[in-house]
Amino acid sequence: MRTKKYLTLTRAGILEALQFRLSFLVMVIGNLLYLIVVYYLWKAIYASAGTEVVNGMTFTDTLIYLVLATALFNFMEMYTVWEIGRNIQSGKIVLDLLKPMDYRKYLFWSYSGSFVTQFFLTFLPTFIAVSVVTHGAVPLRMNLLYFVISVVMAVSINYSIDFIVGTICLYTESIWGINIMKQVIVLLLSGATIPLAFFPETLKTVMYYLPFQSIYNAPLSILLNGNPQPRTVLVTLGTQFAWCIAMFVLSKLFWKVSLRQITVNGG
Amino acid sequence: MSAIIEIKNITKEFKVLNRREGLKGSLKDLFSRDYKIVRAVDNISMTIEQGEIVGYLGPNGAGKSTTIKMMTGVLEPTSGEILVDGNIPYQNRTKNAQKIGVVFGQRSQLWWALPLVESFKLLRDIYQIPGKDYEEMLALYRSLVDIEPLLHKPVRQMSLGQRTLSDILAAFLHNPKIVFLDEPTIGLDVSMKAKIRTLIHALNQEKHTTVILTTHDMGDVDALCRRIVIIDKGKMLYDNDIEHLKRFFGSYRTLKIRVAGDLSEQADKIQKEVPECSVSADEEWISVLVDEDKAGVMEVLGKLQKTHRIRDMQLEEISTEEVIKKIYEEGVK
Repeated sequence: MRTKKYLTLTRAGILEALQFRLSFLVMVIGNLLYLIVVYYLWKAIYASAGTEVVNGMTFTDTLIYLVLATALFNFMEMYTVWEIGRNIQSGKIVLDLLKPMDYRKYLFWSYSGSFVTQFFLTFLPTFIAVSVVTHGAVPLRMNLLYFVISVVMAVSINYSIDFIVGTICLYTESIWGINIMKQVIVLLLSGATIPLAFFPETLKTVMYYLPFQSIYNAPLSILLNGNPQPRTVLVTLGTQFAWCIAMFVLSKLFWKVSLRQITVNGG
Repeated sequence: MSAIIEIKNITKEFKVLNRREGLKGSLKDLFSRDYKIVRAVDNISMTIEQGEIVGYLGPNGAGKSTTIKMMTGVLEPTSGEILVDGNIPYQNRTKNAQKIGVVFGQRSQLWWALPLVESFKLLRDIYQIPGKDYEEMLALYRSLVDIEPLLHKPVRQMSLGQRTLSDILAAFLHNPKIVFLDEPTIGLDVSMKAKIRTLIHALNQEKHTTVILTTHDMGDVDALCRRIVIIDKGKMLYDNDIEHLKRFFGSYRTLKIRVAGDLSEQADKIQKEVPECSVSADEEWISVLVDEDKAGVMEVLGKLQKTHRIRDMQLEEISTEEVIKKIYEEGVK
């Protein structure tokens, strides 16, 4: 009975997403344009480098990585910060707080429907297309299983970070700047826009100690490595798990403290 | 009858930054620690019984919504005690949420893109309403309003009236003990208002639900509430039944007429004809303030019609604002 409470929100999310057929088309076109830019940008980078392999990655490696990162982004980005910010500004948050459910859970499950639709409508097709086009450059072995586990944790970390940033909106009552900043930081430091291999050594070390790389770099490196050392997989998943717990606790605590500060607009 | 809401001496203060003017001032504000304390609710106490419909009135910014937010548990009072069905709402917000329903006139809790019936199903699962109760409630709704055409209509395609109606139904769906209605009839036409009043009344009778109604529409109050509470500037001005209040604004109505000729001259004439009313004139209208205890509006109108050619007329009720002003000026014991 308890899970039904949450799954009903997932169901509603799927229904809601399916109401807007046109937005899928627009998103697919948008992604296509982005990928074309990415293709030519990296082509130029490799051409100017003059070698086949840059930082241990071939042009094909890089492109596969970035295409999948984009697909992953579409599926993981929940715009939670926008949502929380908008709800705070419009005062709708009051209605959400008055649901007999923890707000953090309520929001997550409200969005979970879009995970499902995005996974099947963008990530999966992209993944299949990449596999076909590259004639099996993406290994399809145990790494798929690890990848699924990794993505689940990545989603959780991403949500926690979003939720923390969203909570900051309670204090600032503005969203735009904060959200843009968050997006830039996360996308850059997680390896979503540039593969981690291309960063300078010191920065790379710093990035491995931050939670962001667990969102995009971790699942993608697991997916693209067909014959990983068991130790590598364990370390990657372990790190993710630790961040999962840490960010979960942090976001929950921060929310709890902040909720006491809440001064809902209007009234 | 037992008390469902008990409020004792609650006060709510907000800290607001003192903003300065202009660009320079705004820049200074970035680093300002200059706060002022605004007291939105000031020492209010009341007890509300199960099954009551209470009209909660006051001008904009009087502190009505703040009080309601404290009762729902969204805000914590600065001082004082609130008990809602034995719970302290801000400490047990989730538990409290199960027992209350809310409608905010300007916002909707329904799922925008989905047909109404999907919103109902969602609420059924979220509030964990047993299937039998849910079906019974829907049957009750069917007997009260014509919901069939609404059920399969996406909420975003609804008119404001249909949406408000749906929101009210959604708020009652889990059979809460208390429903808070914040300006439910705002922006609605006369027939929709009447429909919504009938619906609220019927649900209150049927389910014995306590209703706290904020509104600026005296029509709502007249149709639904026995008891009203008036606050202004955070302070309680009045808490008693509506009959008692009628003594203050009671039977006054303003009859506005337009006649041929110079209005102020005509007004003097009219004053002599109906000495029991006070008559005044502005550029457009002659206003006749009629005390219905002494003479009915129709009576006065009939009298005037014999002696004047009335081109146009209007009848005005005294508004909430005027009532409150009157109470404020005259004081209430």
